[in-house]
Amino acid sequence: MVLFGLGGLIYVAVLLINGIAILSEDRFLARIGWTTTAEPGFGGVRDDASVKARLVNLVSSIRTLMRIPLMFINTVIILYELILG
Amino acid sequence: MPPSQPQSGYGYQQQPQGAPAAGGGGGGYNMHPNFGGFMNDPTAQMGFQVGKSAVMAGQEYMEQNFGRLVSVSALKHYFNVSNSYVVNKLYIVLFPWWHRPWSRQQRLSNNGQDGYFLPPREDTNSPDMYIPMMALVTYILLKTLLAGLRGAFDPELLATTFFTSVFVLLLEIGIIKLGTLLLNISSTSQIFDLVAYSGYKFVGVIISLLLSELLGHLGVGGRWASWVIFLYCFSANAFFLLRSLRYVLLPDQNGQGVGGGAAGYTVARSQRNRRTQFLFVYSYVVQFGFMLWLSKV
Repeated sequence: MVLFGLGGLIYVAVLLINGIAILSEDRFLARIGWTTTAEPGFGGVRDDASVKARLVNLVSSIRTLMRIPLMFINTVIILYELILG
Repeated sequence: MPPSQPQSGYGYQQQPQGAPAAGGGGGGYNMHPNFGGFMNDPTAQMGFQVGKSAVMAGQEYMEQNFGRLVSVSALKHYFNVSNSYVVNKLYIVLFPWWHRPWSRQQRLSNNGQDGYFLPPREDTNSPDMYIPMMALVTYILLKTLLAGLRGAFDPELLATTFFTSVFVLLLEIGIIKLGTLLLNISSTSQIFDLVAYSGYKFVGVIISLLLSELLGHLGVGGRWASWVIFLYCFSANAFFLLRSLRYVLLPDQNGQGVGGGAAGYTVARSQRNRRTQFLFVYSYVVQFGFMLWLSKV
């Protein structure tokens, strides 16, 4: 057990972030309308306040921000699991 | 350009030749201004100054915000308690039903611009860190003591209980942060407030554990007695959180929709409804799960 159960927390967080990061933008997210690229119509007010818009924003931010760090984290965890797990 | 000059002559190597000509700014040799002439230009100087001051301002802002996040003086504010405050707060946490004013008191600072909240010593409704920390330590010791009374003591139990509690706290902070992000709540409260409020549930858990163990030793009641005690502690804590966090999560109670028109008002209304629902779910459903988990013997 890594650090009395905090290892489980780290694993869950990394797996969740991985799950968000592999959502493909043009194959999956665009099909269900979860992209920020969809422009509102003329005079349409873009609602940044709704929960869905916030979720979309969050997903795209995580995809953009965590792509490079996730590679390192995943590599470290895989090596750890191979050697010590 | 003389043909004898090498092709890389656009940079610094040309400086001894080009600097006297370009120094005047509007001289004849300003077709390829090298860096020396560029830096001497008054416009560039001004731009440089503006950029420097902007960077300085940004740095100052960052320092301020970072200092607000993890500064020691901010933490000291939460430990500024007195005996009467602790007694009153424990009473409020356990019997929140008749407590009347829930809003925190503010005091205007000297320039009259921005107020700051009174420390716990002077305001009973202010969150503090003393009670949650002491309750956390007491909870860990009590859990281990109960295990020892049952004859199942293990030194590792201390660490396990501690990490379980920290895990619960982290998870709660995560949930409430995600909620404020999704619901677009721009609250000015600090993260220490949330830590403090989520730590008050240890008081209820301790009381519930202690009383049910005591009743079990006396032989009064049975499983239902401990369930009744737990349910009372849970509902008291949930009510306390509902009332206290209302001022954290719903910052402007009546100022909502005053500036906007009818459309803005309805948007604010639906937003407010959702926030209230989130607050309810957080203080009743989420807290129920966590308290049940923590008070599981």
